[in-house]
Amino acid sequence: MKKILKSQISQLWKRINQSYELFIPIEKDNKVNFSMWQEGDQVNLEILKTNSSPKNIIFPQTETYLQFEKNGKKINMESVGGKKEAYVLFGVRPCDVVSFNLLDNVFLREPVDRFYEERRNKGIVISMACSDPEETCFCSAFGIDPENAVEGVDVATWDMGDKILWMAQTEKGKMFTQSLKDLLKEATEEDEEACVQLKNNIKEKVKNLPLSNIDMKKIDKSMKDLFESSIWEDFSAQCLGCGSCTYVCPTCHCYDIQDFDGGKSGERFRCWDSCMFSDFTLMAHGNPRKTQKERFRQRFMHKLVYYPNNHGTYACVGCGRCIERCPVHIDMVKVIKKLGGEL
Amino acid sequence: MSVEAKETVMGNKNEFEPLIVAFCCNWCSYAGADLAGTSRLSYPANVKIIRVPCSCRVNANFVLRAFQRGADGVVIAGCHPGDCHYSTGNYYTRRRFSLLTNFLEYVGIEQERFKVDWISAAEGNKFATVMNDVLEKVHRLGPNRKLRDARWKR
Amino acid sequence: MEKIGLKVRARAKEALENREVDEVMGWKKGEFWYDVYPVFITEANEADDLIWDAFCVNNLSKYLIQKQKENKKVGVFLKGCDSLGFNQLLKDNRIDRDQVVIYGLPCVGMVDPEKVKKEGLNKGLLEIKRSKDEITFVTKEGEKKILGRQFDYDKCLACRYPNPVVYDELLDTEIAREVSEMDRFKDVEAIEKMSITERFEYWSNQFSKCIRCNACRNICPACSCEKCVFDNVNAGVSSKASVDSEEQFFHITRAYHVAGRCVDCGECTRVCPAGIPLDQLNHKIMKDINELYGKYDAGVDVSQDAPLVTYKLDDADSFTEHGKGGK
Repeated sequence: MKKILKSQISQLWKRINQSYELFIPIEKDNKVNFSMWQEGDQVNLEILKTNSSPKNIIFPQTETYLQFEKNGKKINMESVGGKKEAYVLFGVRPCDVVSFNLLDNVFLREPVDRFYEERRNKGIVISMACSDPEETCFCSAFGIDPENAVEGVDVATWDMGDKILWMAQTEKGKMFTQSLKDLLKEATEEDEEACVQLKNNIKEKVKNLPLSNIDMKKIDKSMKDLFESSIWEDFSAQCLGCGSCTYVCPTCHCYDIQDFDGGKSGERFRCWDSCMFSDFTLMAHGNPRKTQKERFRQRFMHKLVYYPNNHGTYACVGCGRCIERCPVHIDMVKVIKKLGGEL
Repeated sequence: MSVEAKETVMGNKNEFEPLIVAFCCNWCSYAGADLAGTSRLSYPANVKIIRVPCSCRVNANFVLRAFQRGADGVVIAGCHPGDCHYSTGNYYTRRRFSLLTNFLEYVGIEQERFKVDWISAAEGNKFATVMNDVLEKVHRLGPNRKLRDARWKR
Repeated sequence: MEKIGLKVRARAKEALENREVDEVMGWKKGEFWYDVYPVFITEANEADDLIWDAFCVNNLSKYLIQKQKENKKVGVFLKGCDSLGFNQLLKDNRIDRDQVVIYGLPCVGMVDPEKVKKEGLNKGLLEIKRSKDEITFVTKEGEKKILGRQFDYDKCLACRYPNPVVYDELLDTEIAREVSEMDRFKDVEAIEKMSITERFEYWSNQFSKCIRCNACRNICPACSCEKCVFDNVNAGVSSKASVDSEEQFFHITRAYHVAGRCVDCGECTRVCPAGIPLDQLNHKIMKDINELYGKYDAGVDVSQDAPLVTYKLDDADSFTEHGKGGK
């Protein structure tokens, strides 16, 4: 285990920035989001939940695939997607790291999404344990340990107040740690003990969270019963049909492919889509989900039933962003509880 | 600014051909443009005229879309208040685009880039003057980058 | 507020029992201290779920559009700002007044959970109670009272209509709040003072935060089109691309489209997940309408003509030299 004093942390940013693009929670206009670090930026490592999830780093909201231009009777096309620069994603919380794995299940299975794969391979993910879980956190319902390094993390870190403890987890992480060896000091035994203490504290805190009682096993009805449940009508009536929940969600990954028509030239791009929108999966005959009820159902059935059927795990990581962001407070927890017969 | 740098700026300026989109009402301003043409008055070829049935047909979206797709300046021209072919259309134009004029300036678009004016069918001269005036001002401001879609190519 | 909560439940129960209405719209408490969400109830026994507290911020009037399609007579609880939205929907012919029974609720202001969190008062918080401007924080350890409006939403601090402007029954005594009309457009004036470059910088920074979720549009009582141009794939503007020009296009269009119809309820700003101060756009248009065409407050008086659907022969304009409207 290594450590670095917080007073020296800006040196670390500078160093990483020399060979990598560094994405880190940065505070701007009272909102914290993962964005590319530049000298002078206000880094905020205390914030638990960035305003939007960091998924836009590995799965950008808009990504151009190809550009085309008319040249006489010919059309010139150029592939432009993917990521060329190596990057470091620092301070990702364990729930968000797990969300990356969930996206991997979709994009990295055959047929592999090449641009996504390229982006994933270029990145080093450094997680940070959640010293102070919040009331809207319910990652424990999905078996995520906010105190530990979860699968998919290259380096795990712990915030000890005046210093950050650092432990490489993968080969990639070890190589990266090696390249920073003059900045990272060896952690002492005391540090390691303090870390164990912190982990125990976190465990205790997680147990006492208001949402720690969520039990996914309570949703035990068949897919057909869930699909036809009356709760969709009850909740969708209040749903505004905006895309806040889907766009701040770390696991939502539906997308649309559109063309920008600029007359003589244009672009084909991929952009996030939201099942809440009326033009989601729009086909020649219209949207197969005609009312908000079907769209609302799609979002939750996808996360709690369809995805688990396909990949063996729930497509929610319990980050709680939707709880905070929904303008009318119709969120994941209410749906889980209602499906489980609790509300 | 060094002499060299100044020269490149000037050089670019000389190359800059502003694109002006003018929405002209069918009954007055379009006829005014016609008159300007038949009277052999010179007004710049960079003005692309779009004929609309009435100036109040113009939607704020038209203006924004024009800026988005390469316009350096946008003009809306209609009949003088009181002369509308449909009696009252341009009274609405007046209110709507008074607000839009101020609003675009509020979000940071130079006032000179968006112009509304009244040009009657008899005012070929005014048509040429207004267009020349807008063009000159836009030319001085340089190419418009604001609101423009970065993916759009001229 | 607790006493009024009792009234809310009693009135809803009575209305449903007597079949005065088919359905009642109100608010229900959720998981957390700030978690309150809209509910529509049809059975009298469900009325016990209804609440009235410092987090009933959602305007229920827009849901009426859907309810009218279902041809139901609906009872609805409306605050001052909500009633403005209601009037605007009436004016836009989106709802039928005869099909609605309004229970008016004078409102002293709603508490902004973000402000509570910022002060660090959310740790272990179980409930927030409000009585006029006295806010009680209930935690496991006990109660803490704070007097003042520092936790109110910004929009509530600027509220000019704490009492419903339209109602069938008022469930509480009217509230008197003094608000300076002079301060109303201070935000706009500050931006107007910037240079043109600064202004563009300011707004393009704000717009670039947009995540295109449409929450501002969907919550808005003035945005009630059957099909929004941004949902219409045939209109060529429905692009979900997160590029600057599309975001600018969206926000200018949104603000301009509600010109003269925006009731200044501030909901767009409240719900924006990216924190864009959308009300500053709406305020600019309101300020200009007031200056150019005389004072107009959307949603206050249904009989008054909206400024953009009417005109005067001698109107000022802001674009010709003789128009004298100026900026």
